[in-house]
Amino acid sequence: MKFTKLFAAGATVLIAGSTLAACGSNSNSSSGSSAKKTINWMDAAEIPTMDISKAIDATSFNQLGNVEEGLYRLGKNSKVENALATDTKVSKDGKTWTFTLRDSKWSNGDKLTAKDFVYSWRRTVNPKTASQYAYLFEGIHNATQISAGKAPVNSLGVKAEGDNKLVVTLDKRIPYFKLLMGFPLFFPQNQKVVEANGSKYGTSSKTTAFNGPFVQKGWTGSNLSWKLVKNKNYWDKKNVKLDAINYSVQKTPSTAYNLYQSNKLDATVLDSQQTKNLKHQKGYTLRDTAATFYLQFNQKKKIFQNANLRRAISMSINRKALGSALGGANTPATSLTSKGVVNHDGKDWSEVVGDKKNATYNPTEAKKLYKKALKELGVKNVSFTILSDDTDSGQKTTETLQSQLEENLKGMKVSVANVPFKTRLNRSTSGNFDVVVTGWSADFADPISFVDLFTSKNAQNNGKWSNAQYDKLIADSKTTADTTKRWNDLEKAEKILLSDEGIAPLYYKTEAWLVRPDIKGIVYNGAGLNYNFKNAYVAN
Amino acid sequence: MARYLLKRIFYMILTLLIVATVTFFLMKLMPGSPYANEAKMTLTQRQIMDQQYGLNKPIWQQYLIYIAGMLHGDFGTSFQYSNQPVASLIGARLGASVQLGLQALILGVVLGVIAGAIAAMRQGTWVDSTATVISILGKSVPNFVLAVLLQYYIGLKLGWFPIAGWGQFSQTIMPTIALAVGPFAETARFIRTSMVDTLSSDYIELGKAKGLSRMEVIRKHAMRNSMIPLVTLIGPYAVALMTGSMVIENIFNVPGIGEQFVKSILTNDYPTIMGITMVYCIGLVVILLITDIVYGLIDPRIRLDESEA
Repeated sequence: MKFTKLFAAGATVLIAGSTLAACGSNSNSSSGSSAKKTINWMDAAEIPTMDISKAIDATSFNQLGNVEEGLYRLGKNSKVENALATDTKVSKDGKTWTFTLRDSKWSNGDKLTAKDFVYSWRRTVNPKTASQYAYLFEGIHNATQISAGKAPVNSLGVKAEGDNKLVVTLDKRIPYFKLLMGFPLFFPQNQKVVEANGSKYGTSSKTTAFNGPFVQKGWTGSNLSWKLVKNKNYWDKKNVKLDAINYSVQKTPSTAYNLYQSNKLDATVLDSQQTKNLKHQKGYTLRDTAATFYLQFNQKKKIFQNANLRRAISMSINRKALGSALGGANTPATSLTSKGVVNHDGKDWSEVVGDKKNATYNPTEAKKLYKKALKELGVKNVSFTILSDDTDSGQKTTETLQSQLEENLKGMKVSVANVPFKTRLNRSTSGNFDVVVTGWSADFADPISFVDLFTSKNAQNNGKWSNAQYDKLIADSKTTADTTKRWNDLEKAEKILLSDEGIAPLYYKTEAWLVRPDIKGIVYNGAGLNYNFKNAYVAN
Repeated sequence: MARYLLKRIFYMILTLLIVATVTFFLMKLMPGSPYANEAKMTLTQRQIMDQQYGLNKPIWQQYLIYIAGMLHGDFGTSFQYSNQPVASLIGARLGASVQLGLQALILGVVLGVIAGAIAAMRQGTWVDSTATVISILGKSVPNFVLAVLLQYYIGLKLGWFPIAGWGQFSQTIMPTIALAVGPFAETARFIRTSMVDTLSSDYIELGKAKGLSRMEVIRKHAMRNSMIPLVTLIGPYAVALMTGSMVIENIFNVPGIGEQFVKSILTNDYPTIMGITMVYCIGLVVILLITDIVYGLIDPRIRLDESEA
C-alpha cells in the first residue's frame, strides 16, 4: 500500500503545484487594452537589428520608423510630410538639395544636427559597414564608388552647413528622392552612441539612440517582447497620443488570434484559414503589402521568345481560382506595380497600367494564341517546368498553374519544381529555369521600384526579356525634369512590358488582419516602413 | 576509471571535430548566400559583402579560420541578427529550451513510470488497458496538436493558464505538458514491458517465497531492475527535449533555441548553424558519457573498463 500512497502523494503535489501556478498567472494577467493609452501590437518575427545601416526587413523598419525619424515622415498613401526638415530647396537641375532642419534632440538629450545625417549616410555607404541596402544610395554623388571601395567615404555628396543645414549633391536627378528621405536607411545616426557601443550598436534597446516619436525599451537582441514608450525629447511630442505600444512576436496565427480574443493583443495577422472564417468580423482589415507575384519566362529558351505563347499561358491562368487555392486575401494581378503602392491623381497605379486583356482568364483566346504560337515555332507541342519555392503557397501556385495550363492548352506538358527559397533564387539568377514564379516588393512607393527590374541590363531581369523602347522610356523617366512626362514614360513602359507579356502577373500579396476597431490614426503604407503610430490613439 | 574517462573524453573531442568538419562542408554545399536581402542585391554588391565577411576565401581557408576561432571560444557573429555574437545568441535562447525540456522530461518520466508500473502490476485488467491506450495515444498524437488544444481550451476558454509567453512559471505549464506527452508514453510502455518481464523472473518468486510483502518485492527488486534500461532511453531524450522544439516554442511564444536552429539553416546563417550544431553535439556526447557512468553505478554487472575488471 505504501507504494501507491507514495505515488498518490507525488501526483497530488504536481497537481497542487500547477493549480497554484495557475492562480499566480491569473493575478498577473490584467493588462489588455483597458489602459486607454497603451496598445498591444504584434510582429511576425524577431527584430534582427536596430542599426539603421544594417536593417533590411519589415520588422526592423517598423521599429525604426517609430523610434527614429528622418527629414520626412510618410503619411497616408506615402504622402511626404516634413519631419526634421522644415524647408527643402532643390536646384534647377534637380541635383542639389538643401534641407533646413528644425531644432531637435536625441532621446538621451544630445542635440541633433545636420552632422548626424552626414555621419549616418557615410557609415551606410562605407563598405566596412557591409550594408545590404547601400544600393539605394545610387545617384547620390560618389555613393556607388564608395560602396565599391573605389573612393574615400568623405567624398559622398552630403555635407552639413552649420547645425541646421544639410546639402545633398546628386550625380543625376532622382525623381523619387523625397520618398527615399522618408525611408529609415536615410535617417540620422548619433555618432557618439554608435562609436561608444562599437559592434554592439543597434543590437539591443540599450545600445541604440532614438529620435522618433517613441523610444524602445526591453529589447535584448533576440527576445520576443519589448515596448515602445513615448519619447519625452521628441520635437512634436504633443501630437503623440499613445503612452506605450507593447510589442510581442507571434509566429503562430492561432496563438495570436487566441491572444486577440482574450484582449492580450489588439491586432493579429490572419492565416489563410482564419481569413476565410473571420471575413465578416468587426476589425477585419486588408493590408496591401506592395508585393506582386508574377511569372518570368526564360527568353534564352527558344519557345519563350514567342510572345503569343507567353500570352496564351497568361490567358489560361484563372487568377481568381489561383487566389482561392492559395487562400488568404491575395488579389488577382493585372500589372507589375503592386496594388496600393502608388496613388496617382486619385487612382491606383495598378489600375492605370494594368493589362486587362492579357492578364484576364480567357481560355478561348488562349487556345487560338497557342495554336498560332505552335505554328510560328514550328512544333507540335511544348513542354516546360515551372520553378517556385517549396513553401506552402509556392507549391499551391505551381500545382494550380500546372493543372490550369494543361487543361486549357491541350498538348502542353507542364512539370513543376519546388525548391527551397535560396535554391530558387540561385537558379533564377543563373538563368537555370524555364518559367519561374517570382515575388517582388517595393522599397519605396514609386513604380520605378518595379519597372526598373525589367530593363535589359538589370540584374533582377532573370528571364532576360528585352525591349529597346522600354529601356529608353525607363532611362528617360529617370532624367526628365518634367513630372508629367515622367509619369507618361512610366505608364507607357509598364504597358509595353505587359502587352508583350514580358512577365505574367499572378497576384498582389494582401494580408488580412484583425485590428481592434477603437484604435484609430494608424498610418499604414505597403512600401518601405509599414506602420506609423505617431498619431495613433485609442478612441473612447 | 580515470583511464576510461580519459579515453572517452578523447573520443568525445574527436567526435566533435568530425561533426564540426562534416557540418561545415555540408553547410557550404547549400546554395545561396547568408544575406537576407540577397534577392535585391546585384552581383557586385554580393562580392563586396563576401569580401567583408571573408566569404570570398577558399572554403578550406574559411574552415581553418572557423575551427581556429571555435578553439578560442569564438563562434562568430550571426547574419540574421546583425552583429550579435552567436555565443550570446545561443546563451540567451538555450535557457528557455533547457528549462522546458527538463520540466517535460521529469513530468513525463515520473508519470510514465507510475503509469507503466501500475499497468504491469494490474496486468490484463482495465487499468492496464487504459494505461496502454493512453500511452499509444500519447505516442501517436503529435505534440503540437495537443499544444493547440491545450491553448484553446485550457488557456482561452477556461483561462487557467496564460495562453502564451515566457517569464512566469505559469507560462511554462502548458508547453511542458505538451512536450511531456512523448516521454510519458515512451516511458510508460517501456516500464510496463520491462516490469512484466521482471515480475515473472525467479528472484521475484524467491522474494515472495521468503515471505516479503508484495509492495516490498516490487519496490526493492522489481522496480530497481526494471528502471535500468530506462537510463538508456532518458539520455538521448533529455538532449532532444532540452535543445528545443520549434513548433512548441512557436505556439507558446517561447524564446527557445529550436526555432533558431531551423531558421539559421533556412537563411544560411553559417555561424549560427555551426554554433547550435556544436551545442547539440556537446550535449549529446556528454549525456551519453553520463549515461554510461550512471549505468555502471546502478548496475554492478555492467563494467566500464574491462582492464579494471
